[in-house]
Amino acid sequence: MTRNGMESLAGTSSVLTQPVVHLTPPRARILIADRPDGWRQPIKERLDYLCQLSLGWDGYRARPVSFSTAHFALRLLESVCDSTTPAPSIVPGPSGDLQIEWHLKSGDIELHVRAPNDVHAWRETLSTGENGEELRLTIDFTLVARWVRNLSDPQRATVEAAA
Amino acid sequence: VNRPFDLPEFSLPPINEVVLGIQFDQPIGYQQIRAGEVWNLFKVGFPKVSELLALQPTFETFGPNQILPFNFGVLANPSRNRYWFTTDDDYELIQFQGDRLLHNWRKLANHANEYPRFDTIIGKFTGEIRRFEQFCSELQPQKLIIRQCELSYINHIRVAPGQLRVGEWLKFISFGEQEPDDFAATFRRTTTCGDGQPRGRLICESATNLDLSGEAFIALTLTVRGIPERPETDSALEFITRGREMIVRTFADITTESAHKAWGRTQ
Repeated sequence: MTRNGMESLAGTSSVLTQPVVHLTPPRARILIADRPDGWRQPIKERLDYLCQLSLGWDGYRARPVSFSTAHFALRLLESVCDSTTPAPSIVPGPSGDLQIEWHLKSGDIELHVRAPNDVHAWRETLSTGENGEELRLTIDFTLVARWVRNLSDPQRATVEAAA
Repeated sequence: VNRPFDLPEFSLPPINEVVLGIQFDQPIGYQQIRAGEVWNLFKVGFPKVSELLALQPTFETFGPNQILPFNFGVLANPSRNRYWFTTDDDYELIQFQGDRLLHNWRKLANHANEYPRFDTIIGKFTGEIRRFEQFCSELQPQKLIIRQCELSYINHIRVAPGQLRVGEWLKFISFGEQEPDDFAATFRRTTTCGDGQPRGRLICESATNLDLSGEAFIALTLTVRGIPERPETDSALEFITRGREMIVRTFADITTESAHKAWGRTQ
């Protein structure tokens, strides 16, 4: 096969093909937009930063956040957060892990992402009492999304629960 | 691999490429400088090597805010490479980077090579994972921790020049009288395990495409991607085998009877 400028090689495929290409009029613009969520850009910047921490960043032997764990955390947040969700804090762990945290007046949520598919979730609100509530999760974060919604918009959550 | 007795079968399937893959935690003690040692494991059958940009990690996650993920603006990739170890005849290749191992079988431009069937390909891939795992355990006693598995069937549905009518091949698309210049359609479906929990996704992508001579065809790609029940090799191979069943059954479900005739459906 010969290569030319129109060929594409996407993802895991190894075969070159050409997408059908349209000629666009000179004034046409192609808009490439990321999701408009307010939390997204600061979180991506924070994750980029945490992946570039130097070895021993804590003064001991802590590793930078693993690139793969950071990617997984971003996918997790995409599943859980909508455009109104407040941005969480991201705290690095010593073993390439990280913690995603929301601390609001209405309560606290902490998601310890130990590795991809290995998440320990904890929350404490008025309804859970002091010890809080915890879950072990892999890839389904439906319950965490409910926690986050209840925390960030308790009024809406009460209305939904009553309906 | 035991083939389920009721799995649809075709004597002339339009398969152009099959990709089996695993994504794992970078083994302890592995650094990119050791990529040559990994090539040595496979060099006899795969004597050619080339270097490409690394693939980004891919994860299927679930929650209420599901959209097709955009791949723009993903995290900055550390500078790592992916290697292709290719057979002399170019029909097969192993893709390797610190957290991925994949095996591709592909048809080439003259379409002379016959699809060797799934059992043959997964047999080879199993051997390659075992050899790599052995290599890693010699770096430091350890097993591969597999986080994600995937299987893709890439079909090229070809017809005589100027005769491309998508609805004659794909059941879920009908354009009526006037065929469009081109099209693209994607759907995703959650795959679950015994307890009903999400385990991954089946992703179907179909679109008009052009071959290198400029002739239009339908590219129909079916991928199953998700987490193995346990993060280890046997479980990953089970996931891929179950993924094959899902893909073959979905392929038969979404393509038309006349298409099945053309591809020699025998079951």
